Amino acid sequence: MDEVKLTLPATPDFLRLARVTASGVASRMGFTVDEVEDLRLAIDELCFALTGSPPPPGTVELTYSLDGASLRVEGVGHFNGHATLPLTLTDLSERILEALVDEHELLETDGVPSFRLVKNRQSTA
Amino acid sequence: MLAEFAESRDASLRDRVVEAHLGLAEYLARRFSNRGEPLDDLVQVASVGLIKAVDRFDPSREVEFSTYATHTIVGELKRHFRDKGWSVRAPRRMQELYLRLGNVISVLSQELGRSPTVPELATEAGVSEEEVLEALEAGQAYRSTSIDAPGSAGARAAGEEGDTLASHLGGLDPELVEAERRAELSPLIASLPEREQTILYMRFFEGLTQSEIATRLDISQMHVSRLLARSLEQLREASLGD
Repeated sequence: MDEVKLTLPATPDFLRLARVTASGVASRMGFTVDEVEDLRLAIDELCFALTGSPPPPGTVELTYSLDGASLRVEGVGHFNGHATLPLTLTDLSERILEALVDEHELLETDGVPSFRLVKNRQSTA
Repeated sequence: MLAEFAESRDASLRDRVVEAHLGLAEYLARRFSNRGEPLDDLVQVASVGLIKAVDRFDPSREVEFSTYATHTIVGELKRHFRDKGWSVRAPRRMQELYLRLGNVISVLSQELGRSPTVPELATEAGVSEEEVLEALEAGQAYRSTSIDAPGSAGARAAGEEGDTLASHLGGLDPELVEAERRAELSPLIASLPEREQTILYMRFFEGLTQSEIATRLDISQMHVSRLLARSLEQLREASLGD
């Protein structure tokens, strides 16, 4: 299983790269444009949930795991002890993410916030 | 009629002149319709150009109105693509590729019966996969102009009511849509323009893909993508205020 790792400052300009990287990786895996666009929207939604707005100082560490037709993206926030907003997804965000990706979750483990999503390639390109 | 309007500046006369030449606006809008923008939007832009032409035309000059109006309308359409469409300046090469990809996606989707992949797009467009990805990302900086707003000046000027939910729902059962909307759409969504509510509903409540929505609404997949991204961003911003 191939992995791509990325550590970004938690600012909107850099978090854009999380989306760009997801597009690049998904494209390599043969995802369709529809699926790539879904993935980009999901990354935006979960990065926002992870950092809040404006994001606290710190970094977001992303891991893209390529497993056959399945792409898993994990994001971990390192906010240097700064308090983050409670990690919750609104009902609407839940609904949106359910439509965009196959699995998603937002976690907080020992005060470290993270998200995980899985997007499976549906089409046979 | 033009000479009479130039003399009197009567509003009802102006409307009649505009209506009499809407065919020209539509004809010119169609000439720009292969650049990834919905024809309806381009017709609205062209109509604004037509109104400007009517207002500015000087019958004492020896120029045919159709010649003058064509020049003004084409200028308005070009300005729409060059200036109004891009909220952040992307390199012109990427702008052009992005607009071109809109057509390529439509053609390939029809040929393949599914949404194309990035490598397929790159091959068809004769560019690298990286360029396709760069153009798609640059597309996020491409915003729909005010003509997306319901009841915009352009729509009113063209004698239309602007976008309405009903005009975009096609074969959906309106009663079902309304019931679902009442039950499920949050007040945040209800605050969005109706076209964007429609697209959100189709994508997240009805489960249609972006390509399917594009087909149903007769707009490009890339336009759907832009509107969805913008809507979700607006919803996130609005949620902060809750």
